[in-house]
Amino acid sequence: MAVLKRFFSRWQNWLGLFIVTVFVLMAIFAPLLSPKDPDGRPPLVQSHLRIPQPPGPGAPLGTLPDQSSIYDALVWGTRDALKFGVGVTAIIFFIGIFVGTLAAFLGGRTNSLLMGTTDAFLAFPVIAGVVFFTQLRMIMLSNLLLETDFANFSLDSIQGIGILETLFLQLNPFLRLNPAAVAFALFLWVPYARVMNASVMRLKRVEFVLAAKVSGVKNFRVMLRHLIPNAIAPVLVMAATDVGALVVLQTTFAYIGLGDSTPWASALLAGRDWIFSPKGIIEYWWVFVPITVALILFGIGWNLLGDGLIDAMNPRSVEN
Amino acid sequence: MSLIRRLSFSILRSVITLFLITVILYGTLMLTPPETRATLYMPKNPSPHMTEEQYENLLQQMIVKYHLDDPFPAQYMRWAGNLLKGNWGYSPNLQEDVFTALLRRLPATLELTFYAVLIYFPLGLLSGVLSGTRKSSITDRLFRTTAFVATSLTPMVLAIIMIVVFYISLRWFAPGRLSYAFTSLVESDEFRTYTGFLTIDGFLNKNPELSLDAFRHLAMPALTLAFAQWAIVGRITRTTIIEENQKEYITAGRARGIRERTLAWRYALGNAAAPVLTHTMLTAASLMTNVFVVETIFNYTGLSTVGVKSLGGLADAPSAMGFAIYCIILVLLITTTLDLLKAVIDPRLRESF
Repeated sequence: MAVLKRFFSRWQNWLGLFIVTVFVLMAIFAPLLSPKDPDGRPPLVQSHLRIPQPPGPGAPLGTLPDQSSIYDALVWGTRDALKFGVGVTAIIFFIGIFVGTLAAFLGGRTNSLLMGTTDAFLAFPVIAGVVFFTQLRMIMLSNLLLETDFANFSLDSIQGIGILETLFLQLNPFLRLNPAAVAFALFLWVPYARVMNASVMRLKRVEFVLAAKVSGVKNFRVMLRHLIPNAIAPVLVMAATDVGALVVLQTTFAYIGLGDSTPWASALLAGRDWIFSPKGIIEYWWVFVPITVALILFGIGWNLLGDGLIDAMNPRSVEN
Repeated sequence: MSLIRRLSFSILRSVITLFLITVILYGTLMLTPPETRATLYMPKNPSPHMTEEQYENLLQQMIVKYHLDDPFPAQYMRWAGNLLKGNWGYSPNLQEDVFTALLRRLPATLELTFYAVLIYFPLGLLSGVLSGTRKSSITDRLFRTTAFVATSLTPMVLAIIMIVVFYISLRWFAPGRLSYAFTSLVESDEFRTYTGFLTIDGFLNKNPELSLDAFRHLAMPALTLAFAQWAIVGRITRTTIIEENQKEYITAGRARGIRERTLAWRYALGNAAAPVLTHTMLTAASLMTNVFVVETIFNYTGLSTVGVKSLGGLADAPSAMGFAIYCIILVLLITTTLDLLKAVIDPRLRESF
């Protein structure tokens, strides 16, 4: 296969593939790499001190101020990151392909109308979406509080929501969704639809598709068997890059308090006072370095993989 | 297409976009009980010491007064009419009317974005042309490596490193928007607001120390924002320059003895501007997301305060709705402006008017 040969001819692509493979293996074997005790609690290092402990037995990468192991957060965080990245990317990938192909296939005015509507979503900053859905969850929670008729509760006591949150999670399935995932899924599929739409529009005029149509193949089959497989390469590349980019974005949002927290973001937040102390980043380097390096490598790995795929599939690419 | 026609087309598209998105947002709120929508109509100054019962009564009054049990289209129309009149609701967390809160914080965000653009746009074009014309040279490799680092170091990580280096160790810059000493001065009556940009208003108020202080606080967020964007603009410029270099008009120019430098800067760059503008148009919303992320990390009190800071504490539908709608309007304004700019700059589009 020429594509594979081209892909493996560059060391950057090997590196990207290597990094991604390491993260996937880490996620799969998390229970072996960092076993939890029978109650499912992460290991704690026995110490009465409330300062981060340097790398040592029980915590290969040191501990956070609360004495939980950074290594543990790193390993289990990989699992969360991959789940989020691959899951959300899969959703926006399928929505994008569906809308883009459908619009192109129907063609004409319907196409302009559908793609125009799609473009409307481009104007929506995803951060506003995350804020909106986080707020919506808060509203639903406080409405549940009102309904359940907690006696003597004043307007201010809603702030104590954290304790009751778990209780209500069972009542409404929406409350279990991560607001960041909902906002990403709703607002980040547009580029996929646009690219897919353009490729399908181009393919529609190519002989083999016309031939299939003339010979009486059903429309749906033409779409499924001829149009989508031939137009999917560019969006597949976008998806590879997005897995990393979405996780990086999600961690950033979690760090500033938007959406659900992740092990990586909460580890950085827990160590924040030690990072931001005079000489802290040098003296307590393990609070900052392992997690951020993991995050950056996660982004780089998927990015290299995506870039490599572009170059391999399009030999005329100027990046070569 | 004439300029006027292009403009009206662009505005029409913006209005439709705004309509679609507000329908979706209000439609989502329809999933919640009418009490939630009632908070969107809360009067500007409800008494802060209301009892639960009084609050409940007020909500019920709102539901009756604004017919919040009506079907969706009727409710939407009433709400949208209210928006147009400037009634965006009262945010219990900010203790402020949402629309005034947004307007008040807009200059801060504009100021940050302005300086970031001022840094990254020219630098991006410059490095893009330099590395594009010397493809595969050391300059090119250096640019590509730095650009790769810039896009990989996420704003969050870069921001943390910046705070540690420039604030905690060197004490050059500071987070926030102004030092404590100047905050009260700005809020006093003596200080006159001309542009809303503190870096400029300081000089206009004959108080250059204030401007310097504003710059000291602006530096870290502006640089963080500019670093990632610089890489993106540089890459697009580089790609376009390489593509343009293979075109016939450049070869023809070369044959006629026009200097390489003139070819790159006068001719190729002119055509490279369009893709950069198009890309900025398509990614205006994600640029805005980056601005807000950087604002929040550096505690810079811009528009993001209304969205992000209002998340703590009470359920606050008006601020979330207002924040979203305001952001979309800003994005649409940017897109329309860039669309016009593109028509003016690009000779292929300019010809017909």
